[in-house]
Amino acid sequence: MKPNLYQPINSQIVDIVHESPTIKSYVVVPEKEFKFETGQFVELTLPGEGEAPFTPSSSPKDTKKMEITIMKVGRVTGLLHECKKGQKVGIRGPYGHGYPIEDFVGKGVYIVGGGVGLAPIRSLFLTLVERIKDFKSVVCRYGAKTPEDFIYKKALFGLWQKISGVDIRLTVDEANGQWKGNIGVVTTILKPDDVDVKNAVAVVCGPPIMMKFTTVKLLEFGFAAEDIYLSMEKNMSCGFGKCGHCMIGKFYVCKDGPVFTYQQIKAYSKIWD
Amino acid sequence: METVFISDLKPFLDAVAESANGGDLYVPKKTGQGPPVREQTTFEEESRTIEISHAGTQHYVFVKYDSSAETPVEFNNIRVCMPIKEFLFSLRELAAVFPEPIEPEEIKPFAVFGLKDCDLRSLECLDRVFLEKDFEDPFYIARREKMFIISSDCFEPGESCFCSVLDGKPYPAHGFDLNISQVSDGFVVEVGSQKGKEFVDRNCELFTEPGDDAIAERDRIRAGTAEQLEQNNAGLKFDTPIRDMMTETYESDVYDIEAKTCVECQACTRVCPTCHCFYLYDTKQQDYFAKMKMWDSCMRMAYAQVAGGANPRKMLGDRLKHRLMHKFVYFLDRYGLQMCIGCGRCVDAEAGDIDIRAVLKKLNEEIGNIKVAK
Repeated sequence: MKPNLYQPINSQIVDIVHESPTIKSYVVVPEKEFKFETGQFVELTLPGEGEAPFTPSSSPKDTKKMEITIMKVGRVTGLLHECKKGQKVGIRGPYGHGYPIEDFVGKGVYIVGGGVGLAPIRSLFLTLVERIKDFKSVVCRYGAKTPEDFIYKKALFGLWQKISGVDIRLTVDEANGQWKGNIGVVTTILKPDDVDVKNAVAVVCGPPIMMKFTTVKLLEFGFAAEDIYLSMEKNMSCGFGKCGHCMIGKFYVCKDGPVFTYQQIKAYSKIWD
Repeated sequence: METVFISDLKPFLDAVAESANGGDLYVPKKTGQGPPVREQTTFEEESRTIEISHAGTQHYVFVKYDSSAETPVEFNNIRVCMPIKEFLFSLRELAAVFPEPIEPEEIKPFAVFGLKDCDLRSLECLDRVFLEKDFEDPFYIARREKMFIISSDCFEPGESCFCSVLDGKPYPAHGFDLNISQVSDGFVVEVGSQKGKEFVDRNCELFTEPGDDAIAERDRIRAGTAEQLEQNNAGLKFDTPIRDMMTETYESDVYDIEAKTCVECQACTRVCPTCHCFYLYDTKQQDYFAKMKMWDSCMRMAYAQVAGGANPRKMLGDRLKHRLMHKFVYFLDRYGLQMCIGCGRCVDAEAGDIDIRAVLKKLNEEIGNIKVAK
């Protein structure tokens, strides 16, 4: 019998980090070495309850464990939020294609993220800064609902801002008196001269509405549709292009994505819904 | 490949059942009441005419062959209602068990008699998906390898059969182990595979040489049936290849209008022999956890919905559009063949009276209008 595509690798949650009121990060250790490329995703099974797709937020360099950041939005993620350290889980994957890092070499990388969309971006970011000299610049623009809703706060407000070659700006939709930064949605901190658009790629990950307006803005700046990389989060169930749930037009998001250039998918209707 | 002759089906089917090694032979059986005719009622509603039609309830199902049964096995005139996928991945199956994986059940050889050309062409579509390199479905492969296919010619096309419009024929050309054509004094048997040849060699006492007149009669019947199919579908002609027609009318509101009567019964995707969507769900058993795999339908409201509630195909029209685009455009672009074989099962099954032929016709009219406008 051929290897069973549907069989998860037995794994365990060994640590849990409270990122924000609705978001937690889980350190997951699979029982065997697990390799992935940044941007690829996994299916995480909570035994007996259900399965959901997540892009690991950790660096692919670590093949012993991975970090998965999860926002409480539905049934399975709600149950995952109740899990304690030691919980047995299952991992299938990795699925899809990672970010085409080699195509980014020599260019400015303009990363725009919102909310829990920072999770896949963190993995990408860690991969880029490993070899920061290969890129013209790494410019990050992140938004969250309130200052409390930022994830990876310690690194985001500290270490990451100090890396040479990295330019990070943050914004929140609403804030109290202590917030010194920008207030407004992420598109309000995107400026045409953030990067040299003729020699840059943009990477966008966040809620659909944010991705939609960011894409519009990037096109206004002069980005070519094929230089805008979008993380499409659809209903990925099987992970290998058979079950059909995640289709956008002819593409299976799980197998052909989950990262697409805007050029690839712009002809299809309701891609942001 | 060689062609042989049998005068009676029973000894042949007995031999097939025998050689299935404890597995099963499935044969067609007529069921339901009333002849397969359509009653039509036409009435106007808003901007379109709705034709409510009722297929007769009479159709064929597959049953296990019983050698001792008094009534002989019927030679089905058209496809059996059940799609071939039921033999290869059942409505619900066990996909994984953990933490300790279990050895899957061994699949016994089995045989199916009475599959038609449309069934074999749908099998080609399923094979492309489930035998795809790197992502081979182990359960599908296990059953596929054990399936012995005895197809047969159609001789009286159904009202909903429109395979001829989609390059289909009322008789199979390939994809079978054995194919049976009924003629007046017996059956012409065509060998289509090594497996089929081995069966004929092993049971050579059952077969004789076919006479030239039998072959001539078979060809005559085939031509007649093909002609009848052409006539039945004379009104279904397209001015552009369907793929181009659908791509150019992507923004059409035909889908929204046609989907108005859909009641989301999902019968179209259930009976469709090429529809292969499924969903995975997890269950808790007494001492293990199981991942189950079950047929799903892209016509279902929550099918594409994600955890946050976003849903790119919330509207019925969008779901119908996606279903048909998948059949005639997306699958073709990916795998090189159309995913609709024109069997008409969905037309018969629909509770909401969406007729795939009517949708195609309207898109064809639309493209005519687009061209005139240009």
